[in-house]
Amino acid sequence: MRIGEIVETTSTGFVAESFTLNRPPPLGSLVAVSLPAQDMEIYAVVAYGQTVGLDPGRRAVRRSTEIVFDEAIYHEHPELKHILRTEFGAVLVGYLAEGQVWQHLPPQPPPLHFSVQTVETGELRRFTDHLLYFRLLLSYNGPVSPLQVLAANVREVYRQRGSDRAWLDVAAREIATLLKNDHEALLTVLYAIDPGEASAIAERRGQL
Amino acid sequence: MSNKRLGVVVDGAFNSGLTVRLDPGVTTEQLRIGSFVVVEGQRNRYFSLISDIHLKATDPRLLSDPPRATSPFIAHTLSGTSTYATVEVRPMLMLEKPDESDPRALLEMRRGPQPVKTIPIHFAELREATELDFATVFGKEGGVYFAMGTPLTMDIPICLNLAHFVERSDGIFGQSGTGKSFLARLVICGVIKSKVAVNLIFDMHDEYAFDKQTEDGRWVKGLRQIFGPQVLIYSLDEELARRSGRNADVTLKIGLNQIEEADVILLSEELNLRQTAEATIGLLRDHFRGQWLLKLLQMTQEELEEWCKNSGAHAGAASSLQRNLKRLQRQEYIVEEAPFAALDDMIESLDRGKHVILQFGRHNSVLDYLLVSNLVTRRVRQRYEEKTRRYEESKNPKDKPRPLMITIEEAHKFLNPAVARQTTFGIIAREMRKYNVTLLVIDQRPSSIDPEVMSQLGTRITGKLTEERDIDAVLTGVSNRNALRGALESLDTRQEVLIMGHAVPMPISLRTRQYDEAFYQAMGAPEASQGPEIGIRDLFGED
Ligand SMILES: Nc1ncnc2c1ncn2[C@@H]1O[C@H](COP(=O)(O)OP(=O)(O)OP(=O)(O)O)[C@@H](O)[C@H]1O
Ligand SMILES: [Mg+2]
Repeated sequence: MRIGEIVETTSTGFVAESFTLNRPPPLGSLVAVSLPAQDMEIYAVVAYGQTVGLDPGRRAVRRSTEIVFDEAIYHEHPELKHILRTEFGAVLVGYLAEGQVWQHLPPQPPPLHFSVQTVETGELRRFTDHLLYFRLLLSYNGPVSPLQVLAANVREVYRQRGSDRAWLDVAAREIATLLKNDHEALLTVLYAIDPGEASAIAERRGQL
Repeated sequence: MSNKRLGVVVDGAFNSGLTVRLDPGVTTEQLRIGSFVVVEGQRNRYFSLISDIHLKATDPRLLSDPPRATSPFIAHTLSGTSTYATVEVRPMLMLEKPDESDPRALLEMRRGPQPVKTIPIHFAELREATELDFATVFGKEGGVYFAMGTPLTMDIPICLNLAHFVERSDGIFGQSGTGKSFLARLVICGVIKSKVAVNLIFDMHDEYAFDKQTEDGRWVKGLRQIFGPQVLIYSLDEELARRSGRNADVTLKIGLNQIEEADVILLSEELNLRQTAEATIGLLRDHFRGQWLLKLLQMTQEELEEWCKNSGAHAGAASSLQRNLKRLQRQEYIVEEAPFAALDDMIESLDRGKHVILQFGRHNSVLDYLLVSNLVTRRVRQRYEEKTRRYEESKNPKDKPRPLMITIEEAHKFLNPAVARQTTFGIIAREMRKYNVTLLVIDQRPSSIDPEVMSQLGTRITGKLTEERDIDAVLTGVSNRNALRGALESLDTRQEVLIMGHAVPMPISLRTRQYDEAFYQAMGAPEASQGPEIGIRDLFGED
């Protein structure tokens, strides 16, 4: 499913404008750009999202009243759909070429104005069976800390893989290996991807 | 059969051994210090021992601030990655791997494990040893390969090469109750069964011949009950000779004529002899020759004074010596004159392939033990030297003396640094290997044995020792002491031993074989109904 159009592109990532206002793809989710001419599919992980006015120098003004707020504002001001836009940034994490998945940067950045698409579960499984792309995620510099992008990606993939615990354990160990020299960073990610037995245990203890 | 990978080599040096990082999921508690493991190199397989285990963390901050209230998820993730364990591994032997494509190489592999000459490179795999690995290194049971027990973590027999065992003097050590006497019995049974040597056992506490109750209340058989008439029982105690069903074959008497200066000197402490005793005995010997002791004990006060005047001996010293030596005369088994024939008969029996247990019965004071063992052994030694000389002259295989293993408990009494140079046992330990006589030394305190004797021991079997000095003593002259020290310290207090030396290709910790009905059967013991009674034909017949 097409969800956006590339409006800025580099060798390491791109910025796309989302087709739906205020609803960029989930942080950490895997998206793809198809290049049929090269028989190639470029994969990226959503690294941030934002909604701004057309004129980026100007901040939005308050629109709500006593009775009109939240969703209702958009009904009251249909022109907002035209003067606001939602963008998201994504980190390149690999590509599919000649039927094989590669988890390194593609030779060219994805072309400007091409579509960004969601990735189906089957394809996502295939790509995330390997975890070398974590290294690309960790080396990305953007508005959101790479640790949080990584954690978001793990949570998202875990959910899309149907709460695949075995995958999560492998992913967690891979992260522990990558962050072996920075214990604080490691714990930051681990706390953020913990599927939560700890809280369940704490709850049970509380009940006793 | 498990063939489990434990980790990979990450560091090492030929001189200090290899460092292996354990795989995530392998816990340190799965491994034991001293256990036998295998490193698979590219060309060689390295049979090794685990000498140490370390816990590590990739980031030292983790150690100063361990995560609190960790979720199982985080704990599981950290273990084996951020926190991990390494083991120090000591290659002891290596075996060239055959090049499967080359049939000649397969044949060459028959050469068996060799001393280690190199080390494997990074990422060589460490794995648990398999049954085949144990068999490759320690040999298969049968012939001179005698199953001594099982590895601590596995249930397969580990063998001792008995032919090698009896080639040199050996030691069995361990604190009281670790199973030394049981172990000695196991080994002696192996030696009897495989016929690699004959045994002479100085049985101070009457433990070896007949059944005996264990600490946990079971009755276990003695050697006579397992091997019947192959084992002869000599006794110092006449009462033992009369017990029905457990009777001795021969009652041994010791003559004052057989007691030599060296025997008496060895007993200095027991007999409260003064420093001057040696000089006085020297003078007595000059005068009376072989009769000196008898003569001294027979002299009246006046005669002794007279003799002192003539010979220049100190009167006080002489009469105190006489007083002290009277104690010998009072021992029930001592007679004025005994022929050497009884002892020589015993030695002849040994030469015919019989095994001899000398029981002390009620006469089991240190004095009796030292005196009789030393005296008997001296005669054995003389005869063996003669035999060996005869054999060297005739070169007739029939004249070749049978290898003899002499078992002594509380060996430090004969082999402590103060006396080891004079006692026959000290001489045997140092040089009798050439005459086919070796010792099986059993002791709780190896540190009290002369270090020179310790260094001569071919095979050492040791149960748990706690005293630092004893551990040092057992490990004198052994390479890889640190690895073995760890293994020794981690032994259980009973029925677990570390074996090292000549009779095993590499040191190994074992759970000692059970001394029980199954063992007697394996040794070919007669059924329980058959009595241990033997006839005169058995006593002197060829076996
Ligand atoms: N191989 C074995 N089979 C069966 N029981 C054993 C064995 N080894 C040891 N034991 C048990 O351990 C007890 C002590 O063994 P043992 O008498 O051999 O100790 P020890 O080391 O000779 O002690 P000490 O120094 O006091 O003479 C035995 O009574 C027996 O119960
Ligand atoms: Mg004992």
